[in-house]
Amino acid sequence: MSSIINAIKSILHSMLQLFWFGKKTITNSLSIYIKTSGGSTISVDLDPTWDIKNVKEIVAPKLGLEPEEVKIIFAGKELGDNITISECDLGQKSILHAVKIKSRPKLPQPRHSLIDEDEEQGSKPLCETLRDTMFSNEDGSRNSANAEDDSSSTKVDKKVHFYVFCPTCKALKHGKLRVRCHFCKSGAFTVHSDPQNWNDVLIPKQITGLCENSPELCANLLDNLEPTFAEFYFKCSEHTSLGEQDQAVPLYLIRPNLSNVPCLACADVSDPVFVFPCPEGHVTCLDCFRQYCITKLNERQFWQHPELGYTLACPAGCVDSFIKEIHHFRLLTDNQYAQYQRFGTEEFVLRSGGVLCPQPGCGMGILVDDPDCMKITCINGCGYVFCRNCLQGYHIGECDSVEDGLKNSGSGGCYSVDPARVADARWDEASKVAIKVLTKPCPKCRTPTERDGGCMHMICTRAGCGFHWCWVCQTDWTRDCMGSHWFG
Amino acid sequence: MANIAAQRIKREFKEVIKSEEVAKCAIKVELVNDSYTELKGEIAGPPDTPYEGGTFVLEIKVPETYPFNPPKVRFMTKIWHPNISSVTGAICLDILKDQWAAAMTLRTVLLSLQALLSAAEPDDPQDAVVAKQYRENLEMFQITARHWTNVYAGGPHVNSDCDDKIRRLVDMGIEEHQARAALSSYNWDLERATEQLFS
Ligand SMILES: [Zn+2]
Ligand SMILES: [Zn+2]
Ligand SMILES: [Zn+2]
Ligand SMILES: [Zn+2]
Ligand SMILES: [Zn+2]
Ligand SMILES: [Zn+2]
Ligand SMILES: [Zn+2]
Ligand SMILES: [Zn+2]
Repeated sequence: MSSIINAIKSILHSMLQLFWFGKKTITNSLSIYIKTSGGSTISVDLDPTWDIKNVKEIVAPKLGLEPEEVKIIFAGKELGDNITISECDLGQKSILHAVKIKSRPKLPQPRHSLIDEDEEQGSKPLCETLRDTMFSNEDGSRNSANAEDDSSSTKVDKKVHFYVFCPTCKALKHGKLRVRCHFCKSGAFTVHSDPQNWNDVLIPKQITGLCENSPELCANLLDNLEPTFAEFYFKCSEHTSLGEQDQAVPLYLIRPNLSNVPCLACADVSDPVFVFPCPEGHVTCLDCFRQYCITKLNERQFWQHPELGYTLACPAGCVDSFIKEIHHFRLLTDNQYAQYQRFGTEEFVLRSGGVLCPQPGCGMGILVDDPDCMKITCINGCGYVFCRNCLQGYHIGECDSVEDGLKNSGSGGCYSVDPARVADARWDEASKVAIKVLTKPCPKCRTPTERDGGCMHMICTRAGCGFHWCWVCQTDWTRDCMGSHWFG
Repeated sequence: MANIAAQRIKREFKEVIKSEEVAKCAIKVELVNDSYTELKGEIAGPPDTPYEGGTFVLEIKVPETYPFNPPKVRFMTKIWHPNISSVTGAICLDILKDQWAAAMTLRTVLLSLQALLSAAEPDDPQDAVVAKQYRENLEMFQITARHWTNVYAGGPHVNSDCDDKIRRLVDMGIEEHQARAALSSYNWDLERATEQLFS
C-alpha cells in the first residue's frame, strides 16, 4: 500500500519538477557515494527529489538484496523511507552507508500511528533533527530568549548553522555535523540519543550508539566494559567533500544570533556572533572580535596558557573565560594570524627563561642555557651583544652605570642558541615601533618595556605579570621611589 | 580612528547626553572634534566633599583600540586630590588602567571619577605629597582641596588666609600657581614654602 503511495509521490515529484525546473533538474543531481557493509563503494547520481526508498531500490540489487532488507545510514541516523534526498542536507560526494538489516527487533504495534512507525524504523538525519538552538549554551539549557522564540515558532524560520574553520577553503564556513564510530571510525553508525549541547559533541564518549560496520567487534572491544560510543566531527558545507578525511574544526563560539543580542563593543546586532565562554556569555560581532584580538596581540596581552596555548579571555574581564579552541583565532587575517603565531612563540621563549633581543627592529628570541650568564649575543639575529639584566649594551660591572660603549662584538658568547628553536621567534614590523631606544626589562619577567612619558612608575603590560616597578631602581615601585624620583 | 571606536563612542555620547545624571547637571560631555577621538567631560564636585560647588573639566582621549583599551582621561582643572596629580592632572584609577573592561562606558568612567572625588584611595596615590597630607593632616587637606576648588573650579568657599599667604609670595615675585602649590605642599607654612621656593 505504502509503496503505491510512494510511487505516486515520486511521479508527482517528477511532474512538479518538469513543470518548475524543466531540463535544469539534470544538473541538479547529487553525485553520492554509497558504502556497503561489504566494504565496497558505489557511486550514484541522485535526484534531490527522490526519497530514501528510491535509493534502496537502486542499492539493493547491487548488494543482492531486496530493498526491504537494506537500511540507509547517514550522520548518525537510519534514514526513513519517506525522507527525500534534498531533506538530508547532503553535499556533493557525501557518503551514505547501506547496511543489511539483520532482523527487525519487533514489528510495530498496531496502535502505533504511521509517524511513530516511521520514527522507529528511521528518521531524518541528525543534522536535520538538531536545531542549533539546542547548542546555545554549553550546559545545554536553552536561554530564555530562545524559549520565547520557540513559543512563537513561526519566527524561527531562518536556517541555523554550525560554523567551522575549513582548512581547504581557509576561511570561516558553514559546517555540517557528522557522526562515526569512535572505535572503527565507520560512518555506518547510529546514535542512541541526539546530542543536547556542545559538550556532547566536543567531549569524547558522551553519546552511545550502534556501530553497523562491525557490531560484534566494536561492541565487544573492551570485553563489553564500555558501550559503543559515537564520535562527532564536522565537514565544510561549502566545498565538495574530498573524502572521509576532509574535516573542519568547529568554531563553536561562533553562533547564530537568534535572539538578536547586540555586540558588547559596538552595540550593533549582527549574525553570526562570537559568544565568549564566560558564565554571562558576552557577545561581540566578528569584526569587534578581530579588533579585540589585534589590540590585545599588539600589547602582548594574550595569555600563554599551559594547556590551551596562546589565548584570550572575555573582553568584559570575566573570570574563567579563556577561549579553549585556539582555532577561533583563524578569524584573523593571514598576516595577523602569523603575528599571533610569532608572539606565541616568543611568549614560549620568555616562559622557558629565554630573552628577546632589545635591538630596535630585531627582537629575536634567544634561549639561554646558562641562567647565570649575563652576556647575551644575538647570534641568529642582528648580532647585538647586550646585558641580560638591563638590556643595554653589554657592560662589565653594575648595571646602573649606563656604559653601553662596551660592545665587544661577541663571536660566540658564553651561551649557545639552537637556531631551529628561535628561527621563528622574530618580532614583526609592528613591534619595531614599540621597541624604541628607551626600553628596560621588567624586573620580574624580563619583557622589554618602553617608558611612556616622564613617569618612573612602570607597570608591566605583559599578560600575567603586571608588576609595578621603578624605571630608575629596576626593582619594586616603592614610596621611596615616589619621594625621590617620581618624575624625570 | 577605527570604525568600531568611533561608532561605540557615538553611542556612548548619546547615552551620556540622555542620562539622568546629565539632567541633574552632575556630569556632562562635549565633542572636541568631529572624529570623536577627543571629548571634553565635566563632573560636578560631589556634595559634602571639599569639591562641592566646583566644576571639573576632563580631557578624554579615545584610543583607536577603544573599547578594548580604556580612554585616556586627565583633569584639565587643577585639583588637590591624593589620586590625581596636582601637576599634570593624571588620574590613578584602576578602571582606567588594568581593571578596564570593554563593557564599561563614558558614563561609568565619569561616574567613577565623581565617586573618586567622594572617596579617595590614599594607599594607591597618584600624588604622593597630597596623599601624605591626606593621611597625616586630614583637616589641612580639606582646607587645601576646598581652596583649590574655589580658585580653579569655581567653588564658593573663599579662604582669605590662603589668599593672603599667596599674595605675600606673589609680592616676592613668585608666580601665583607656583606659590599656591608650594604653600599647599607645606601645610600653608609660609616660612617653609618660602625656603623651598628660594632654595
Ligand atoms: Zn571548505
Ligand atoms: Zn565501529
Ligand atoms: Zn561589534
Ligand atoms: Zn564575559
Ligand atoms: Zn637581535
Ligand atoms: Zn646591565
Ligand atoms: Zn613583567
Ligand atoms: Zn626607584
